[in-house]
Amino acid sequence: MRSEQEVVRAINQYSDTVRRLCMIRLKNHADSEDIFQTVFLKYALSSVAFKSDEHEKAWIIRVTLNACKDFLKSFSRQHTVSLEELIDKPEEIPPDFRYVLEAVLSLEQKYRDVVYLHFYENYTAVEISKILGKNVNTVYTLLHRSKQMLKEKLGGAYDE
Amino acid sequence: MMNEKLKASFDLVEADDKLKESTLSFIKKQTNGYTGKKAVIYPYLIAAAACLILLLVGGNILYFSPTAEISMDINPSIQLSINRFDRVISVEAHNDDGKSLAESLDIMHQNYGDAVDNIIKEEKIQNLLSDNEELTITVVGNDDAQTDRVFAELEATAKEQKNTYCYRAKTEEVEKAHEVGLSYGKYRAYLEVSAVNPEITAEQIKGMTMREIRELMNSSAEGSESHKNNNNGCLNNCNGNGCTNANGQGNGQGNGR
Repeated sequence: MRSEQEVVRAINQYSDTVRRLCMIRLKNHADSEDIFQTVFLKYALSSVAFKSDEHEKAWIIRVTLNACKDFLKSFSRQHTVSLEELIDKPEEIPPDFRYVLEAVLSLEQKYRDVVYLHFYENYTAVEISKILGKNVNTVYTLLHRSKQMLKEKLGGAYDE
Repeated sequence: MMNEKLKASFDLVEADDKLKESTLSFIKKQTNGYTGKKAVIYPYLIAAAACLILLLVGGNILYFSPTAEISMDINPSIQLSINRFDRVISVEAHNDDGKSLAESLDIMHQNYGDAVDNIIKEEKIQNLLSDNEELTITVVGNDDAQTDRVFAELEATAKEQKNTYCYRAKTEEVEKAHEVGLSYGKYRAYLEVSAVNPEITAEQIKGMTMREIRELMNSSAEGSESHKNNNNGCLNNCNGNGCTNANGQGNGQGNGR
């Protein structure tokens, strides 16, 4: 059982990460409240002694992804989701950024995971494979393909 | 380039304060203020379980507490304990004959009236009564409504039977009887007899029938009217000090009590 202090710190430190993961995993914004409660309650109740901030963050990410997976199991899947449903105030995001996010969201979930973890969180393929519990080579393949797909969607204006 | 754009785009996605605060208060509630106690359901579950146990134990205690006793002596000496619901909750024997009688009976949990009737109806008992043996029924209890009730009913029962007598007594007197190994009915008789015949022992009384005891008493006493006249007799409030018959003659002296 962690103290209130620790939980507050964790929430402040990782809320944004959890929020972003919710965006790429869930169908709508309201559900992220559920995920938040699950993830941080688990954090409060867990007795894992984190060796480092990285260790802690990886733990949070894994728990969040699992929580999202569990949550989705109880709902029927929708094929496409719009940014409006996933963000509280989509109108506050400038159009070309929205465009990028929507492109990411249009990918299948397995690609969305690696795109976020690699391009935003800067995890290596090896680290991602540990977090997601996937084979390293699979992760490389996913990264490669998602890069290609995004390039197509976002137009030739962007390159590596 | 794409990297940066992606990064910048995701940067714009943040958790708002409202979400953070609602999560915080949720956790506080769930962990009961970070004390690790489980959510509120537990106290109620425990209270409900405690109530149930209390009911069961209490009910058990209520049912199985003896509130009055009915002693029946001819020669076989048995004692029925009844509870506040007028049910027989135990049958004890005070001599060998009583033991075999008690074992043959199936009167547990019956209403005392039915139980006594059933016992009287037993062939063994009927035979004894026809042989002119005497049955003494003693109702033992404190001065309460139940004892009054039981006594009244058994008194009526006794009236209808041949050679059956009915008395009532208090609990302390019964304890004394048990101390010398007699059922109360016999103990009373023992006290009466020893008043006029001090050499008689409880052991001897134990083996005698009520009629034999009475005869002994009659023969030992001086100038007393035979109690045998009271075929439908029921004497109220006989205590260890002796009893009065219809003629109002006191018999025996204060003894014990």
